[in-house]
Amino acid sequence: MIKTEKLIKSYGKGDLELQVLKNLSLTIQKGEFVAIIGPSGAGKSTLLYQISLLDTPTSGGVYINGKNMSSLPEKEKTYFRLRELGYVFQDYALLPELTAIENVALPILMQGVSKITALKQAEEALARLSLTEKKHNLPSELSGGQQQRVSIARAIAHKPHILFADEPTANLDSVSAEPVMEAFAELHKDGQTIIMVTHETEYANKAGRVISLKDGIVVGDAKNA
Amino acid sequence: MKKALQIKRELQNALRVGWFLAVRSLRRGSKWTTTLIIFIMILTFLNLVVVSGLLLGLISGSFVAFREGYSGEVIVTSAAQRSYIENSQNLITFLEHHQQVKDMSVRYGTSAQILGTLTDLPEKNERANQIGIRLIGLDPVAEERMTHFSRFILHGETLQAGEEGYLLIGANMIKKYSAFADANIPGLDLLTDIDIGDRVRVSITSTEGTIKKDFILKGIVKSKVDEISTRAFITDKELRRLIPVNKNEVQEIAIKTDEAYAPILVKEIKDFMGSYAARVQTSGEAIPSFLRQVETTMGMLGNALSSFALIVASITIFIVVFINAVTKRKFIGIMKGIGVSPLAIECSYIFQAMFYGITGSIVGLFLTFVVLKPFFDAHPINFPFSDGILVATPESATLRVVILLVVTFAAGYIPAKIIVRRNTLDAILGR
Repeated sequence: MIKTEKLIKSYGKGDLELQVLKNLSLTIQKGEFVAIIGPSGAGKSTLLYQISLLDTPTSGGVYINGKNMSSLPEKEKTYFRLRELGYVFQDYALLPELTAIENVALPILMQGVSKITALKQAEEALARLSLTEKKHNLPSELSGGQQQRVSIARAIAHKPHILFADEPTANLDSVSAEPVMEAFAELHKDGQTIIMVTHETEYANKAGRVISLKDGIVVGDAKNA
Repeated sequence: MKKALQIKRELQNALRVGWFLAVRSLRRGSKWTTTLIIFIMILTFLNLVVVSGLLLGLISGSFVAFREGYSGEVIVTSAAQRSYIENSQNLITFLEHHQQVKDMSVRYGTSAQILGTLTDLPEKNERANQIGIRLIGLDPVAEERMTHFSRFILHGETLQAGEEGYLLIGANMIKKYSAFADANIPGLDLLTDIDIGDRVRVSITSTEGTIKKDFILKGIVKSKVDEISTRAFITDKELRRLIPVNKNEVQEIAIKTDEAYAPILVKEIKDFMGSYAARVQTSGEAIPSFLRQVETTMGMLGNALSSFALIVASITIFIVVFINAVTKRKFIGIMKGIGVSPLAIECSYIFQAMFYGITGSIVGLFLTFVVLKPFFDAHPINFPFSDGILVATPESATLRVVILLVVTFAAGYIPAKIIVRRNTLDAILGR
């Protein structure tokens, strides 16, 4: 379970201080597929960065399974991210010098798993995303949609408890975006907790719950049928 | 204990992932960049080894020439204030039966004067064409075995065993051939208007009176060893006939033995002879001290120049790694974001830097020991006072490899650390 309590994130100081998240409290249950939507500047990505432990809130707390994660030292946060969290970035964020399978295997390797096992797990994750044939391709040899699916494979290969996705379809056309969203739906069906930021209502509606943000506060929280 | 194990596991993991990333970065990164950095490393290594090696080689070349052309590994000469080696025949017998003595050349010597012009007497206020010189009597066969003496013949021919009436003169004593001829050094007299085939008159003065004999100039000898190019040479038998007393006492014995054995042989000879009978030295000890000082100075100069090269190289590697890391800042942020430890990322940059350093050193070692050293040994640089060689030993080269790798390590680690410690989210978002 993820819980934020009176979460505040500000940038700048004094007169120039800008509060992006304002006393934001919400709870996300295990196994939920949550879409966070809102207009530009609403604080969607900022919220995602706080709950995914990529950033530290100005005040308030982020609790995962009851433990306050905001106060953890950076080294422990990195270790927690490696074990428990998966990330899909807007611009795929694949390492250009690693092949698809090597990109996927990297976080598994970092967990201390042997190279053979890591590559096997990576191959399974790529197969799940229908990318077996592209496993030895470099990112530059893949289309945008394929790169994003490799990114998803990397995010799920180490079987994280929570999968975060920051505008995963923003750089994709509708044809390429469709399989990406299908992949999220599949993962959710298997019980994966997914928190996705998007500005596209069409894709948000594929999530089980939609949280709407505006000016750093929650203005809507609805469950989809 | 548990914490120590955890640290060990983290370190092993960081090394493993760092290696995984580094190998792929090198394999799939820009070949041009890799080649350029390795090229810089090769130049740095050569700068470290070759510059100081050549500077030292200027002097070391003269040491080698001194040993090979004159002294051998051990040289026995007259003790101070003595005109010959005492009991020299006993010493010769001792050396002839010594297992470690590979060869030796026994040289007789005396002070002499050579008159170059026999026909025209000097006019008023005109000095005779005459020089004072050290006249050496040598066994041409033994000397050839010991020093390959004939290679020093600049013009004419070398002496033959049993030959009489012929003389060789060092080039530095004849105006036509001397390197100092145009220096007009006060007190330095050189023979003029003589050449191969000319007749010269040798005068040897002793308490018994002055002995004069005419010789035909058979050859001019030239070497960068002063003991060759400033002396005159006749056969030992002829010199022994000329000198009136102490005919069997020699002035120099050059001995060929193993270089490592030389100090032991010196001690053995001293034990055999007693301390005052002769001066017994290894080749290195016989070299004038000012040359040793020049060697030290050259070494310091070489080290100073090498240090500058090292600083330039370390800055270059630093900049290259820094730029490399800065341009990959976003990816470093992503790696940290997905849980790759900062240490693993730093290790990957260190491995890459070490690859540049090790490859540069290996190629540098190859160039030094397979190309440059044999080349300079075969074609020494012709300096006025020596034949410059490249001094490079495996020990000195290993030391420089270690220095280069330590510098490379630091130059790879520091910029990686600077970039990696930056905020993860800022790196991902390019802020």
